[in-house]
Amino acid sequence: MTEKNIYKPLKYKIDKIVSETPLIKTFFISAAKEFEFKTGQFVEVTIDEIGEAPYTPSSSPYVKNKMELTIMKAGYVTGKMHELQGGEKIGIRGPFGKGYPVDKFYGKEIIILGGGVGLAPLRCLILTLLEEEDKFEKINICFGAKTPSDFIYKDWFSDLKKHKNVELLRSVDKADADWKESEGVVTVLLDKIRTDFKEVIAIVCGPPIMMKFGAKRLLELGVKEENIYLSMETNMSCGLGKCGHCAMDSIFVCKDGPVFTYKEIKNTSEMIEFRSLFEKKS
Amino acid sequence: MRTYSVSLKQWVKILSLVSAKSNVFAPVKRYDFLDYELLSVNNVDYISFNKAKPTTPLKAFFFPIKENVVKERKELQQVIFGVPSCDLNALNLLDKIFLDEDFLDIYYKNKRENTILIGSDCYDIDENCHCTSYGINPFPQKNCDISFSLINHKVILQVHTKKGEGFLNEFTADFIELDKLPIEIHKERENTVKQLELQNKDLPGNEETRKAIQKEGTVIWKKYAKDCVSCGACAVICPTCHCFLLIDKANFEKVKIWDACQYPAFERVAGDEDPLEKIYTRLKNRYLCKFVHKPDMFNEIACTGCGRCIDACIGKINKNQLIIESCKLRKEHD
Repeated sequence: MTEKNIYKPLKYKIDKIVSETPLIKTFFISAAKEFEFKTGQFVEVTIDEIGEAPYTPSSSPYVKNKMELTIMKAGYVTGKMHELQGGEKIGIRGPFGKGYPVDKFYGKEIIILGGGVGLAPLRCLILTLLEEEDKFEKINICFGAKTPSDFIYKDWFSDLKKHKNVELLRSVDKADADWKESEGVVTVLLDKIRTDFKEVIAIVCGPPIMMKFGAKRLLELGVKEENIYLSMETNMSCGLGKCGHCAMDSIFVCKDGPVFTYKEIKNTSEMIEFRSLFEKKS
Repeated sequence: MRTYSVSLKQWVKILSLVSAKSNVFAPVKRYDFLDYELLSVNNVDYISFNKAKPTTPLKAFFFPIKENVVKERKELQQVIFGVPSCDLNALNLLDKIFLDEDFLDIYYKNKRENTILIGSDCYDIDENCHCTSYGINPFPQKNCDISFSLINHKVILQVHTKKGEGFLNEFTADFIELDKLPIEIHKERENTVKQLELQNKDLPGNEETRKAIQKEGTVIWKKYAKDCVSCGACAVICPTCHCFLLIDKANFEKVKIWDACQYPAFERVAGDEDPLEKIYTRLKNRYLCKFVHKPDMFNEIACTGCGRCIDACIGKINKNQLIIESCKLRKEHD
């Protein structure tokens, strides 16, 4: 029997591509073989001859015959992704990393804090949680975007509001005349939640700076360090804990993460540097 | 562990015979450089014995500079003769990374399995050799199939593995089996250890180094980074550096190519965030990786004291000098 080659991608077809915002598109991929992944895990996607980049699926792991990837145009490979028309074959390796430990969330109230394209992996998480909605005390969803038109999954929000266990709060950095919800950075939404923060599970995903400020505010509100889950953004290249690009001190983010509790990473140089910004200011 | 004695003439003949059917690599000195060469009738009489490390680190045989890691291929058996202890020790870490049960690298594994490693004692040392500073002896104790010493024109072979036993099997009829290593070998080994200890008497061990560089803020890194030109020579020449890049080729093929954390943009992500943007942060990262992060992650030190990074640095950054200075600074602070 030949052993599995960890570097070799499997080929899949892009069925269709939907524009979410001018910079963000969702790619619908169909599987000849079933996709098996846990929420929070990521895949490495290859564009033939061009390059490879990591993305967390935005679709539910319960749906096995297709996968959705929501991708922001942010660099070379994502730029090339955006040039695809649909119908092309792409390569996928994975899934990699450890997902969200959903069973640890049972019986708890959950706060999900997301910004920009960070909603993509959170959509996968929320769809997973909603499969067993009754097992959670309440699910607070706090989403932020720069402007109302920068929200992705615009059609999905009305679905979310139908769940009685779900509280959806949204804010934009800059409102327009039609915007009736909150204005300000996404962390302002946390002040609207009335709960015993000591008992909640908080999950944050978004741009690195938002994630750090999100964690800071959650800690101030009393959320325990071991109950704050962050997705680290590093240069995950091989996904296998070998190539070294995603190393964050003594952690390979691709293999040990990319989801970490605040407690697990608070002593990394990156987080120490972030905290030092405030220690100097205050 | 079986021990044999055989004449040098006979041993060279054996290497020659094997080289007719397998690739055999052995250290040959050309001008000032000692490096592995593919053995043939042209160079078999020029092999160097029991010298300090060859220029190329052993990792290159299992983790080549560049390699297509999608195409299937059969690995041929190869024999690598004259491997120094520093490089054999580097395999502790490389094996943990590439033979990791979760994600086994079949290309690395196939090459490891199809290679006979013949380690050799170092009976002289290079200017920057310092294996003993990190608890490594200058003679093979693990990770090789056979070890070799040349003493008084006699070859002494010690068999470490079944694979080594199998390799020697067809030749042992002409060997003399010894019940132990000749005393002269122990004397030579002690002599090399003494030379190394004397040469590195001011160099702190890995634990002291770890503590000092962990506490080091920016002074040392900024000072030494002035001479760093991000060429990455220290990483490519290092027997334990394992970082690589996957380059995409047509038909979803991928080429694994050596990379180095000293290169700009090594950790850069989309959106241009780069934790190692400044040269001094990259230099610091290298040292922390060697003495702090890798020991924490794999319980293995990632510096085997081969000294190649000092030999290779075009900015003449002396790693040992940097460490001595950091430790001195720390003592002054405490």
